[in-house]
Amino acid sequence: MLGGLIEANVKARQDRRSDFESLKARVGIRVEDIDESITLEFKGGSLAVSNGLKRNRDLTIRTDADTVMTLSNLAIGPFGMPVYVDGVGRTVVQRLLTGKLKIDGMLTHVPTLNKVTRVFSVR
Amino acid sequence: MAATKVRAFSPEFAQAFKEEINKSQVYKQAGKGWKWTVGLVVEAEPDKNVPDSHGVFLDLFDGEARDIKMVSPDEAKKCDFVITAPYSRWKQVMRKELDPTKGMMQGKLKLKGDLPTIVRYTRASQEMTECTTRIPVDFPDED
Repeated sequence: MLGGLIEANVKARQDRRSDFESLKARVGIRVEDIDESITLEFKGGSLAVSNGLKRNRDLTIRTDADTVMTLSNLAIGPFGMPVYVDGVGRTVVQRLLTGKLKIDGMLTHVPTLNKVTRVFSVR
Repeated sequence: MAATKVRAFSPEFAQAFKEEINKSQVYKQAGKGWKWTVGLVVEAEPDKNVPDSHGVFLDLFDGEARDIKMVSPDEAKKCDFVITAPYSRWKQVMRKELDPTKGMMQGKLKLKGDLPTIVRYTRASQEMTECTTRIPVDFPDED
């Protein structure tokens, strides 16, 4: 589903396409409440999705299914920065602060995280 | 007095579903801007007393249910968005035993249609599910 979401996003929006084409990263997503994990491998214009968490990930997002949907609804503001001050943004921040959303590699891969957020975002 | 039960996936069910959606202030707000038709395909499970597949057609527009009716599965498949699952999965959804977001992620509910659009309306689809849980339903496998 997440691979399909990114594919549709990138096809429909030129700004997301540029991010997608320059994005090279291995991102793991662990959806705790459905006990499923995937690895998204962005290869500068192509994406490989595989089940489970592969090694050497740049970022790993650990959360529940609802928060994955919330992340996909983060608005993108000026300079391509995710907006954390509206309702959805505040929910994301609150879940980060309470540990319901954990992003390993967040502090060392900020530009990558912002790009991943943009290709995910349907807003 | 207990509310009268309606048979799952009958014309009475479709009517009750429409009324619940139109009563919901949450849906009215969350569904603003939505302008696509939705088809639900309920796949037959003869061992659960559901020998035939059913279709539910939802004409939803800008936070309102303009029409909800039972149709053939083929007609439901012509909608802009189509969600397909066997009868027992739909029953789980209506009993809050299966969250539709999780169900779609796990492939238990199959979705056809523009994913970014449906993700944008996650809250509206969650409230639609809530509406089904408020309908007193008589399930065919509990006869």
